[in-house]
Amino acid sequence: MDAFTALAEPTRRNIIELLAARGQLPAGAIYHKFKISPQAVSQHLKILRDTKLVRVEKRAQQRLYQVNPATIHEVEDWAKQITRQWEKRFERLDSVLKELNKKETKHGRKPRK
Amino acid sequence: MGENRENSIVIERVFDAPLEKVWQAWTDPEMIKKWWGPEGFTAPSIKVDLRIGGKYVYAMRGPADSQWDKVMYSAGVYQEIVPNEKIVTTDYLSDEHGNRVSPSEYGMSNDLPNDHTATVKFEDAGEGKTKLSIIYAAPETEEQYQAMLKSGMTEGWKSALGKLARSLN
Repeated sequence: MDAFTALAEPTRRNIIELLAARGQLPAGAIYHKFKISPQAVSQHLKILRDTKLVRVEKRAQQRLYQVNPATIHEVEDWAKQITRQWEKRFERLDSVLKELNKKETKHGRKPRK
Repeated sequence: MGENRENSIVIERVFDAPLEKVWQAWTDPEMIKKWWGPEGFTAPSIKVDLRIGGKYVYAMRGPADSQWDKVMYSAGVYQEIVPNEKIVTTDYLSDEHGNRVSPSEYGMSNDLPNDHTATVKFEDAGEGKTKLSIIYAAPETEEQYQAMLKSGMTEGWKSALGKLARSLN
């Protein structure tokens, strides 16, 4: 799974928001914040780790979770890139449509409403 | 980022052309060739099978001697088609037959998304203008994600097998 897809799931987004607000949290504290089972939360944490959206630090018996801003930025950059790509396509589509309009006028047909 | 959902990308633009013309430019392969791909890129082949379950395969090629001087394909399966109104497709990087490939094959990062649903909306904006919106959304649940992976791959195989069957006829 990629980071964008991982972020689409509401529980995982809530975990990220929680960590963003609180900084570092042990897994146990994250489990307590959610009504779903610790196993289910644990699955979400695994996906967040795998997609590098969170980082884990082991301290004594605890696993401390925190947001990995680098990946969040990467997702933002990707979204910007997609947007730019489409904006460029739209510019070309715009000129294609204008040309189409011109041709129709030239051939004596009125452009349709 | 989005208006409908938090995890979506929405891109909008109003075109100075009537709805049917924009629909045509969007679905007619000869028209798509003229605008698909960034500046300096060409679209050597555009295939459109405009029916639900049908597939599109768009090729683009970068400028000569640039790092993009190779044919790259993207493809998707039509999931919803409402003429002059809406098109919903999956969207992913593919090979020439429209089978999904991993982004690394095109020198891109595998950490970035290669599976999403794209919704294209066509709206009459009055005075012969048309508003076009593209909405990119990631699947929201694991089930949807798995289903999307599976559907794209199955379609890819179906298409490859169909081709084989036709060549044997």
